[in-house]
Amino acid sequence: MSDASATMNFRRRDAADKLRGRTRYTIDRYLPGMLHAAVLRASVPSGRITRLDTSRAARMPGVRAIVTAADAPGMIGIGIADHPLFARDVIRYDGEPIAAIAADTLMQARAALAAIDVEIEPLPVVLTMADALAVDAPLVHPAWRNYEVLLAGGARGGNVAWEATVVRGDVDVAFARPDVEIIESCFRVGRQNHVAFEPRAVVASYEDGRFHIETSTQVPWTIRNATARLLGVPASQVRVTVPPVGGGFGLKFDLAIEPFAALLARASGRPVRLVNSREEEMLTCLFRENADIRIRSAVTRRGEIVGREAVVLMDCGAYGGEQIFLTTMTAHTLGGNYRLGAVRLVSRAIYTNTAPNGAFRACNGVYNTFALERHTDEIAARIGMDPLVFRRRNVLGDSDFGATGQVFEGDVLGPMLDRMDTMRDAAAIPPKRTDGRLYGRATAVGTWFVFVGPSAATVNMNADGTATLVTSGVEIGSGSMMQALPQIVAGTLGLAPDDVIVRAADTDAAGYDVGVGGGRTTVSLGAASLSAAQEVRTKLLKVASEMIEAAPGDLVMRAGRIEIAGAPGSGRTISEVATRAQAQFGPVSGTGAFTGSGVPAMPGCVAGHFIDAIDIPVFAVHDCEVAVDTETGHVEVLSYRVVQDVGRALNPRAIHGQIQGGVVQGLGYALHEEVTIGSNGRVRQNGFETYRVPLALDILPVEINLYEGAPSIGPLGTKGAGEVPILNVGAAIACAVANATGKRVQELPLTPPRVLALLLDREPALSLPHIADSWIDNLVRPHGTAE
Amino acid sequence: MGLSMTINGDHLTSTADPVTPLVDVLREDFHLTGAKPVCREGFCGACMVLIDGNPTPSCLIPAALAQGCDIRTVEGLAANGRLNPIQAALEACDAVQCGMCFPGMVVSLTHLLTTRPEATRDDIRAALTGNICRCTGYERIIEAALLALATP
Repeated sequence: MSDASATMNFRRRDAADKLRGRTRYTIDRYLPGMLHAAVLRASVPSGRITRLDTSRAARMPGVRAIVTAADAPGMIGIGIADHPLFARDVIRYDGEPIAAIAADTLMQARAALAAIDVEIEPLPVVLTMADALAVDAPLVHPAWRNYEVLLAGGARGGNVAWEATVVRGDVDVAFARPDVEIIESCFRVGRQNHVAFEPRAVVASYEDGRFHIETSTQVPWTIRNATARLLGVPASQVRVTVPPVGGGFGLKFDLAIEPFAALLARASGRPVRLVNSREEEMLTCLFRENADIRIRSAVTRRGEIVGREAVVLMDCGAYGGEQIFLTTMTAHTLGGNYRLGAVRLVSRAIYTNTAPNGAFRACNGVYNTFALERHTDEIAARIGMDPLVFRRRNVLGDSDFGATGQVFEGDVLGPMLDRMDTMRDAAAIPPKRTDGRLYGRATAVGTWFVFVGPSAATVNMNADGTATLVTSGVEIGSGSMMQALPQIVAGTLGLAPDDVIVRAADTDAAGYDVGVGGGRTTVSLGAASLSAAQEVRTKLLKVASEMIEAAPGDLVMRAGRIEIAGAPGSGRTISEVATRAQAQFGPVSGTGAFTGSGVPAMPGCVAGHFIDAIDIPVFAVHDCEVAVDTETGHVEVLSYRVVQDVGRALNPRAIHGQIQGGVVQGLGYALHEEVTIGSNGRVRQNGFETYRVPLALDILPVEINLYEGAPSIGPLGTKGAGEVPILNVGAAIACAVANATGKRVQELPLTPPRVLALLLDREPALSLPHIADSWIDNLVRPHGTAE
Repeated sequence: MGLSMTINGDHLTSTADPVTPLVDVLREDFHLTGAKPVCREGFCGACMVLIDGNPTPSCLIPAALAQGCDIRTVEGLAANGRLNPIQAALEACDAVQCGMCFPGMVVSLTHLLTTRPEATRDDIRAALTGNICRCTGYERIIEAALLALATP
């Protein structure tokens, strides 16, 4: 359809203002008469509210409105509605909101918080998944049976918020074969904080009987629908608009503080601004969850994986949130990468009295890839096979089955491994090492996918020859909205990308969208935008064919003109055609909608899953070389290489930027970023002083190779490229450190004390006694049986 | 009475409480929202401004200490509407992603480039340790600084 190529290194239009400090993010927005809000948060992990009296606070200077659980009747969640806006009678985590206040100044609002009279009677606490799964453990949600089930099929019970299972083939038979080795591995990872630079922030107004919420989010439609549900109003009463967002990484893929501001705006009749403090962000940020993982495989001496079994425990914190959905991912992250015979997996979201966890770039995949790749190296070591040879023989290829019985198309991972070999071989030979450090290298593979889901787009053709793209997409920094989408529209209409205006998200103006995340923007919003632009193109070509007196099929659109193919300079400008069309028939516009049709799983293979199989698989191969200081335990990364499957690279330079950034964020996860929880239930890392993210001195340039041509249903053959770069980093570093030290790496991050303990054999082998030895004993309900 | 200071060449007066962090005075009194209060601990550098020519996290400076000082924020660095050399290089290198850290990055790198035109790659990395970026992995930023240094 397109005459002009959509592939280019188009620079960002939003850069100049960002560099001048002119861009107005949500935290920069001030409205006349605006009030400032603050939220009272619990300072115990578990308790019963015996008294809540706001009358004294209401008399404090400047206070205009106070809201509590009584103002927000609804419950939200994914799969099950277990989450109220404010703690309602019961506190389930340290930091849980109890009340919110709007006042003339922020200082007044904060002072008034201290005047709320609240008494809390302590209740028993479960802070770890081991505690939560113990016999007779106190229940975080004693009334879990009464919650509304939003999606049927997941097993639940006690502190198990959700359980998703996969069973394909007979694992017991595979494990009983006489010709196999049984390899068992256990892993544990901590929580990771997104540290998006813009905290979650909102300015809400109540206008003409409707809420208007300006917010820093990745999911405007989720904010609209979830806010309405919590407040008990029709979703049509909520309008959400989104200014430029100062970083997301999944943190802003869920409802946050928007309903507090909305309620206070309605109660006060004034606009209300609410911005999380950095400490609130650090303590309640919807972290990447901590997880405990056990994998067992039955592998023949020749390297065939005939059976695999795994148990994954995902800590969802006090409410199910995103983890309920993410239990689905284990099937594709632990069951991906390699051809498997029989397989059975259980992935469980576990309630604890800790801050809720959420989505974070390549959620679930980052730690399961770490576990799978370390396990793979342990398999290779056991059967005496080179780990690269083992991978090359076993990676998923054309017509191979995934864990859920999905049939993969095309050989992708194999050729990507070959390409990595070539990159590695072409690198300069490392200098001779005589500094006493231990050196190691590893290559790790990873399988991820693009969330597809519904998206909508409208393209309005303007009489001046520009086009306006209207979607619910948000620019969170990745460039998808500022580069990829205008390139797609421009390529279809023969315009310069600068002539495609990108409208900021507004749920009153654009159709439904799942949100910006999961690598889906270029795919889903891109497909909808392409379709909308194609409708505009068809309409313009029809009008132009009358003006130029040529058949539409003989015309091309390029460089702002509609011309007869092969006759540059003929025809008319697009502006002239658009003007004529507007006069004759009215303004020209086109609409587009897209969603994935879904890929079926093998019947009966999955239970409790939100999707059965993956619409757009994405693969990555990472290779790194490390040096480990035996005196300090410090790990230095000496080289890092990435071969990433991108389908088709619309903007290679933008993708390179995503890969460099994602790898560095992954190095933080692999080497030093870890959120821990104290015995009081409070997150220990409350600021930048205590949570260390990578600095300019920590990084190295990543050598990047984009692998194009793998099958994709994405527009123009694209796949999402921003999610995947972090996927394999923990795996690659862990395998390299294991190779360097000869020690069994079972936990991330590999901080100097942890590495030193490994080197000195002071790190005991990881034991996960709360994972039962028999797979079936880890289930609330046997796979496939009804509730 | 009030706190007077020179901001981007303009003589301005604030009635803020003298203990108010400078970043809040800039943003709330003067609507200069370029400086971002990200960590409020002086670690991230997103609120960096030049105070009498020295890069300083404005979250750590009480307004009273800025009294009488010459303050330059990111808004004052693009002279006559044109991006300065490091801003232009950051744009040319497509370094900007979410952009929240860039006002502070621009301040730090503008200072480095004007005071140390001989800076090396390692000098640039060291100079950026007070400016954290969560999106880019730094490489493009370092590349841009090298480009700006090499541009006559």
